[in-house]
Amino acid sequence: MENYLANLGVLICVYSILAITLNFIMGYAGIFSLAHAVFFGFGAYTGGFIALNYTSSMFVTLPAAMVVSAVLSLLLAIPTLRVRGEYFVAASLGLQILAVTLFTEWKGFTGGIGGLVGIPPVSLFGTEIFRPTSFVIVTIVALIVTIGIFHLLVHSNFGRSLRAIRDSESAAAAFGKNVPVIKTVSLAISAALAGMVGALYASYLAFINVESFMLDTSVLIMAMVIIGGTGTQLGPIVGAIVLLSLPSAITYLNFLPQSEIGAIQQIIYGAGMTLLMLFRPGGIVGSGGK
Amino acid sequence: MTETHTPEETHEDKEVLMELAGLGRSFGGVKAVDDVSMKLRAGIVTTLVGPNGAGKTTLFNLITGQLARDTGHITWLGRRIDKIRPHEAARLGMVRSFQDLRLFEKMTVEENIMTTFERSPLPRITTPAKRAERREFIDRILERCALTDKRNTRASDLAYAERKFLSLARIIAAQGRLWLLDEPASGLDPQSYNRLLGIIREEVQTGVTVCIIEHNLDIVIGISDRIAFLDRGKLLADDTPQVVLNDPKLASIYFGER
Ligand SMILES: Nc1ncnc2c1ncn2[C@@H]1O[C@H](COP(=O)(O)OP(=O)(O)O)[C@@H](O)[C@H]1O
Ligand SMILES: [Mg+2]
Repeated sequence: MENYLANLGVLICVYSILAITLNFIMGYAGIFSLAHAVFFGFGAYTGGFIALNYTSSMFVTLPAAMVVSAVLSLLLAIPTLRVRGEYFVAASLGLQILAVTLFTEWKGFTGGIGGLVGIPPVSLFGTEIFRPTSFVIVTIVALIVTIGIFHLLVHSNFGRSLRAIRDSESAAAAFGKNVPVIKTVSLAISAALAGMVGALYASYLAFINVESFMLDTSVLIMAMVIIGGTGTQLGPIVGAIVLLSLPSAITYLNFLPQSEIGAIQQIIYGAGMTLLMLFRPGGIVGSGGK
Repeated sequence: MTETHTPEETHEDKEVLMELAGLGRSFGGVKAVDDVSMKLRAGIVTTLVGPNGAGKTTLFNLITGQLARDTGHITWLGRRIDKIRPHEAARLGMVRSFQDLRLFEKMTVEENIMTTFERSPLPRITTPAKRAERREFIDRILERCALTDKRNTRASDLAYAERKFLSLARIIAAQGRLWLLDEPASGLDPQSYNRLLGIIREEVQTGVTVCIIEHNLDIVIGISDRIAFLDRGKLLADDTPQVVLNDPKLASIYFGER
C-alpha cells in the first residue's frame, strides 16, 4: 500500500510537471501543441541512454535531457512561427507521429520497440535512489522547483510579453516585442523541463519504451491542462491529480460489479470530462467563462 | 506647393523626422496606397484625412512594417530603413494605435501599460527605488487617461471610452518619438475627446511628432498643424489647414462620399 501510494505520488508529480510545462505554452503563449510527449520522450531516452552507458548522476542525466529536448523544440518552433492556431495543432501532430517512428526505429538510441531495459536508478551525490518512497521526494522537489520557475516567469516581464502576444500578436510586435524569439524561448524552456522530468521518469521505471511517449500521452497531458484550467497556475496540478487518481478511486467503489469495472471506469471518466467542459469550460480552477 | 507661405507656416524650419518616398502597396490589383511621398517634421501634428477605404490604415501598416510595401522607401532621421519589422520600428521610436484597438484583453490595465514600456523580455531584478519610480510613471499615465480606478481591471471589462484611453495609455507609456494614431477619437463624447486632444497637445510640447487619422472636422481643426488628404491611395494634398480646408475640390471628395 505504501509503495502503491508512493507510486501514485511519483506519477502525479511527473504528470503535474508535464502539465505545467504544457500549460505555460498553451495558456501563456497560445501555442496548442499535441507533441508534448515528444519532449518528455527525448528527455527520457537521453537520461536512460546516459545512465546505461555513462553515469547515472542526476547532475549529468537531467541537464543532458534538458538540453536535448530544448534543442529539439526548435524543430517545433519553425512551424509555430509560420502558422497559426489550428494549423499549428496539425503541425505538432505531425511532429508527434514522426517522433514515434523515430523512437521505434532508432534502435541504437532508444532500443527500438523493446525500449531501454535495466536503466540504473538516478544517483544523487553517489547515493542511488530507487525505492518509490524516496523517489517520491525527488519528484516533489522537482515539482516545487518547476512551480517556482514558472511562477517567476509568468510574473516577470517575460511572462507579460508572452501574455501580450497571446492576446494580440500584432499589438505586442507594435510595442517592440520580438514575437518569434519570445515564442521560441518559451517553447525551449517548456521542452527543457518536460525533458528533465522524462529523465527522472526513465530512471524511476528502469524501463522505458515508445508506449509512454505516444499521441495518447500528449492528449492526456493536454486534457490535464484543459480540465484543470488553462492559463491558471494550480490548474495543471489539479488536472493531473484528477486524471491520475480518478481511475484508481473508481476501483475502490465496492458496489460496482468487479467484472465490468474497466468499462464503468471509462464511462465515468468520459462523461465527467464532457460534463465538466459543458459547465466549467475554464476548467476546475479556471474562471468559468471564456 | 504653396510658395506664398512663410517657412514657419509650412514648418520647413523643423527637422524632418520621417520621410516617405513613393510608398505603394496593392491588394489584388487595387492600389491601396499609391506613390505617397510626404515628410513628417518633428513636433508637428499631421492629420491624415480621407474617405473610408482611402488607404490611411494601410499607410500606417507600411510605415511600421506590419505590411510589406511594393514600392518606395522610408527615411527615419536621415537614415534609410529598407526592410523593417514591426518590433524594430517600435524600437526606433514609432508607436502606433490600431483602429480596432487590439488591447491585451486578458491583462489588467496596469499590465497593458507595463508591457509597452518594458523593452527587454529578459527577467530582471528591480530595486525598490526603480519600482517606486515605475509606479509613479504608471500613476501619472492612469491619471491623465482617467483610468486610475481601473488599474486592476481587465482590459476586456472596460467600457468603450476607457478602452480607447487604454490604447492611448499604452502609447504614452511606450515613450516613442512618433505617434501614429488610427482614429483615436472615433465614438468619443466631447469631454473625452477634449481630454484626448489635451494629452496630444501636452505630448507634442515635449517634442513628440504625431500623425493622426481623424474624420471629425472639429477635431481636425482643433489639433492639426498640417492636413494630409488621401483618396484612393493617392495623396491629394499635404499642407496647412487653411489651404486644405478651403480647397473646394477636396471638400467635394470628402463630403460627396458621405
Ligand atoms: N490586408 C488587406 N488585404 C486586402 N485588402 C486590404 C488589406 N488592407 C487594406 N485593404 C484594402 O485597401 C484599401 C484601403 O484600406 P484602409 O487602408 O483600411 O482604408 P482606410 O483606413 O483609409 O479606411 C481598402 O480597399 C481595403 O479593402
Ligand atoms: Mg482605417
